[in-house]
Amino acid sequence: MMFFGRSWIEFEELEERGRCGRIRMKQGELRRALLLITLLCAFLFFYLYWQQSNKYIPAAIYRFSHITTNYKYNNHPHISQSATPPPSRYLEYHLIEASPKQSQISVRCRKPIQPQWTWDCVNKRCERRYADDPLKATSLATCGMLCGSTQLWPQPTGPVTMASKALRFHHRQLAFESASLGASRSLIDEAFAVFNSNVIGLTEAPDYPIEGSDVSEFTVNIAVSNADVVKLKLKTDESYSLVLKASGKDGLRADITAKTFFGARGALETLSQLIWWDPYDRTLKVIKAATVRDKPAFPYRGLMVDTSRNFMSIDSLKRMLVGMAANKLNAFHWHISDSQSFPLIVPSLPLLAKTGSYAPDMTYSPDEVRDLVHFARVRGVRVILEVDTPAHVGNGWSWGPTEGLGELAVCVNERPWSLYCGEPPCGQLNPDNPHVYDVLQKLYGDLIELSGETELFHMGGDEVNLECWSQHLQRTSAAYNYTDLHELWGEFTVKALQRLTAANGGKRFPHVILWSSKLTKRPYVNKYLDKTRVVVQNWGGSQWTDTPELLSDGYKVIISHVDAWYLDCGFGRWRETGEAACDPYRPWQTAYQHRPWQLQRLDKRLILGGEACLWSEQFDEGSLDARLWPRAAAFAERVWSDPRLDAAAYGIQEDVYTRLNTQRNRLVKRGLSAEALWPEWCSQNPGMCL
Amino acid sequence: MNFVAALSWFWFMGFYLVQGTNWLWQCEDGYCKRDNSETEREGYSSLKICQLMCSNYLNIWPLPTGIIRSSKELININTRNSIFFYYNAPTETLHFLKEISKYFENQLKNKEPYSCDENLYTLKIFLSTDSAQITSNLRTNESYTLKLNSSGNEANVHIKAPTVFGVRHSLETLSQILVSHVEDGSKCLSTLSSIRIADEPKYPHRGLLIDTARNYLSIGVIKRQIDGMAASKLNVLHWHLTDSQSFPFVSTRLPNMTRYGAYSPTKVYTPEDVRKLIEYAEYRGVRVLVEIDGPSHAGMGWQWGPGAGLGNLAVCVNRQPWRSYCVQPPCGQFNPINENLYRALGDLYSDIRDATNDWRMFHLGGDEVSISCWNSTPEILEYLKGQPLTEKTYLDLWGRFQRKNLQAYDTAVGHKSSMVVVWTSHLTQPEVIQEYLPNDRYVIQSWEPESENELLTNLLKLGYKLIVSTKDRWYLDHGFWGTTKYYKWKTVYENPIYTPYTSAILGGEVCMWGELVDDSNIDGRVWPRAAAAAERMWSNPATSAEYAQTRFFAHRERLVERGIKAEGVIPRWCAENEGECQTYM
Repeated sequence: MMFFGRSWIEFEELEERGRCGRIRMKQGELRRALLLITLLCAFLFFYLYWQQSNKYIPAAIYRFSHITTNYKYNNHPHISQSATPPPSRYLEYHLIEASPKQSQISVRCRKPIQPQWTWDCVNKRCERRYADDPLKATSLATCGMLCGSTQLWPQPTGPVTMASKALRFHHRQLAFESASLGASRSLIDEAFAVFNSNVIGLTEAPDYPIEGSDVSEFTVNIAVSNADVVKLKLKTDESYSLVLKASGKDGLRADITAKTFFGARGALETLSQLIWWDPYDRTLKVIKAATVRDKPAFPYRGLMVDTSRNFMSIDSLKRMLVGMAANKLNAFHWHISDSQSFPLIVPSLPLLAKTGSYAPDMTYSPDEVRDLVHFARVRGVRVILEVDTPAHVGNGWSWGPTEGLGELAVCVNERPWSLYCGEPPCGQLNPDNPHVYDVLQKLYGDLIELSGETELFHMGGDEVNLECWSQHLQRTSAAYNYTDLHELWGEFTVKALQRLTAANGGKRFPHVILWSSKLTKRPYVNKYLDKTRVVVQNWGGSQWTDTPELLSDGYKVIISHVDAWYLDCGFGRWRETGEAACDPYRPWQTAYQHRPWQLQRLDKRLILGGEACLWSEQFDEGSLDARLWPRAAAFAERVWSDPRLDAAAYGIQEDVYTRLNTQRNRLVKRGLSAEALWPEWCSQNPGMCL
Repeated sequence: MNFVAALSWFWFMGFYLVQGTNWLWQCEDGYCKRDNSETEREGYSSLKICQLMCSNYLNIWPLPTGIIRSSKELININTRNSIFFYYNAPTETLHFLKEISKYFENQLKNKEPYSCDENLYTLKIFLSTDSAQITSNLRTNESYTLKLNSSGNEANVHIKAPTVFGVRHSLETLSQILVSHVEDGSKCLSTLSSIRIADEPKYPHRGLLIDTARNYLSIGVIKRQIDGMAASKLNVLHWHLTDSQSFPFVSTRLPNMTRYGAYSPTKVYTPEDVRKLIEYAEYRGVRVLVEIDGPSHAGMGWQWGPGAGLGNLAVCVNRQPWRSYCVQPPCGQFNPINENLYRALGDLYSDIRDATNDWRMFHLGGDEVSISCWNSTPEILEYLKGQPLTEKTYLDLWGRFQRKNLQAYDTAVGHKSSMVVVWTSHLTQPEVIQEYLPNDRYVIQSWEPESENELLTNLLKLGYKLIVSTKDRWYLDHGFWGTTKYYKWKTVYENPIYTPYTSAILGGEVCMWGELVDDSNIDGRVWPRAAAAAERMWSNPATSAEYAQTRFFAHRERLVERGIKAEGVIPRWCAENEGECQTYM
């Protein structure tokens, strides 16, 4: 490692000399010297290239071997020997991220970086100036971290103190220790590994020199008092305290104290935000001392992504989870199927995906889902699988007759679609067919097993089209006696809930989430839905009466108001008729400023939290990152920190722009194609674009 | 352990693949319908093949404007070293032709190798052109004819075009009708046994504007935009190179420009970068139209005048509150009364001349000049002393700037025959334009909304040539800021490029202003919507977007296959079940 560090510098110097040489050449003669220097350059380039390519894979392993060998377990040092490295998929993921850096190296060979701008902190703002003396220049990253803003996102809810000085350190000086031995031990190990690679990801290239570091060692310690908690629940304590300070001779120590792993993981995330790469000094830096106490405003901070209208690969979903972790969002609501396609391979019902997926490579295998659930858990995120019923089914549900189960779904692909559903293709489960409930029970069993979720279950339940049922039932149903088909819908839901209990080994699921609909309105809601159990996800407009009515009736809610937190809106109507043309686009400011509990004076106690939704009619995985970020980050601060809206000014504070921009750049560093907030000039000139 | 797990995984997936979803498509009334029935399914095993057989237009995008005829018999092409090119063309063009042939071949090679081995036809492509021209301009003839005949084991493609640019477009067309697909487990490249196509564009200027000043775009990303343009037969990359936010072009004569104007030393374009990019674009049928915006939209990069003893080259730079002096921060406008400015501009133009080889067309910007900037600048007020401070005075000042700017430019290139483009502005109002901008030199790029067609009529009457960038249809940045609306692809497609068809309308441009896009998200904003505009400019069809829909979805897939992160505009189900997502009521 050291060796490469040195050769890197030598190379740069030589390259610089080579450039000077070339300039002289232009003015005069000495073609031979040019050739010599070019050859030397080429030789060095190949030498370096060879070293790089040879080294890269070991470097990745090195990171991890480094983590494991440097672990100090205060009570049981022997455990360090057997600490399991993260699963191999995870390794691959970061290797892919690391590879572009190789190409950056060749760019840098061409243009050694000379500081061009310098930033001075003036009245809590970094002011850009031309760097007359490059050696004395301060980078924007360093100035920004030490100039009045915490640069944390989401902003902690407890007290924060931060020193105004930075220390230089090298990621190889990081050491991790934890006294926790409970069931969350391996999660802590993996979270350390994620943290470590996030820190390495900040560097331009991981082989910068260690000389010049201000510290001898940078120890991160985690103490978790309830180490048995490995599953995130609504009641899980996600609070943490983080103390970063000098320790011993030249040592630096971050002490993280939390009730649970999930709090501790959030603390690691906060700590990673106190660390940055200084491109001028070419070193990592960290705030010299800091204390943070923090806990979320809401226990449920969700993000919904739809993988049915258009398929999203597992890799793209992992990128989303990386982004969620960075913003302390904690629930991935996976709207996995819809009437368009059924990409999930359900072990007990393989025909769903076989007849419902777009293509064999556009499916999620059980192992992929389990792996994703684990990937999420390490990042403090629970996964809630939603197979929407009784509406929003269709493709994938037509095999009933050939399997001797009769029509499981009706109106499938029926035309004209505008009569039977909100968007093509149509389809709804057949409430008359008793086999439907058997199938649901199998399905629910597998969903519970795949997600490992034992507290929250999402049953869908939105946009049932009674016309579809009424047409169908006229033809076949013995039960065609309903004067009000909402009752049929209510009874379907009750039966489905019973099957959910049966699928859960006879145990009632603590909370079942349903989308808001006619059924979740009075009078049906009180008739069919048990308020101790059902949680309603409110997707209506924020001015609708749904939310206040449900709250006054004692139902728990999750808020997903379409006019603030529907991230898919704003791209025009993709079909000529039908609702859900939810223009305009919700800019991040809208997502951030949405605080219905303040504006409508709602009772916060029954609000579990919020969820931003991303339906996928008008994009696929190529645009997933850009649709989500940084808007979902703005939403995340709303549900984690929940800052009060300033009714008088009603504007967004400059500090929010500054911090969100910093956070956006962090996301890009972690490999997410987040949208640009503004012209880069505005980043380089804080406060000047408002 | 892992090994066993992997083995069972493969076993499982293998099992699933064999058993897997295997849709079939049938051609009904010009639509490919996925057969969703459970039993006795029949049809084509791939949507693309069905479309080739079913679409009247062979799924070509943009729509050819001449004849399209074809047989309905599929043939499989032998891809193992068996595509042969024959050139019948002037020697000067041979290198160009080889480059475009190579590009064509690369389009055919995607991830997995072909494995088809039944009834293979050898593909022979005969390219012929008479002209030795290898750089394009507004008068370049881009038409072509393509004939494919097959007999024995040979498929012969005869391509004739007046210029290599027509040849390039024809290869693009050919790559769209050579369809790769999987049938019975083997991957084949197929086409129809006999095809005739004649094609030429309706407009000679078919552009995409990118903005590298608000946010820097890396070379690779710009190249990707050019690839998308090539696939859609767009032919002008309008490079809004500089603005008041940054100046990323490295000027050899004026190194201070990037020193004071770039975001960082790595976020620049060297003359070498520009040269290579222009070459890259040429082989894709795209010419690069460079814009140095002035007198407004100039700030960063121009601050070094006083330090060099040249006085203020730009004024109002970074002045706050910005809302009083410009439309967006940071403010900045040229100082039109400083003679050193024109020398500096001349140097800059010389550098750009060195970096570009085609110098027939250049963009001088000229939009959104703020009078409140100039009339709050003491040295300009001093200069204007004695004159009434009316709008006319400022227009005169601005007009004088345009004259001297053009002079500086003409001096740099050594002749006065190039055309320069400016945006519509106060200066291009029909009442005043003739006084300031002679119509034999200036082309006007209109960014007026659709409602301003009368203005265009008046400009046409005055003898100006126009490029149309209807801002309420073709501004791709809209919909994400202020009260602007997003224009979905159908809106973009249905832009009725101004009505009385005259050759004075050179064409149009879709504009991707860069405030809210950078490397991360530009692809999705530009594509596939720029392709919708491309068909408008190439074919200008009388039919609606609805009619083009299935071809458009197929073209979007094509863009994705070429590595462009084009946005999905509809649920995949709708693309796979053509005609099912239309309105039925």
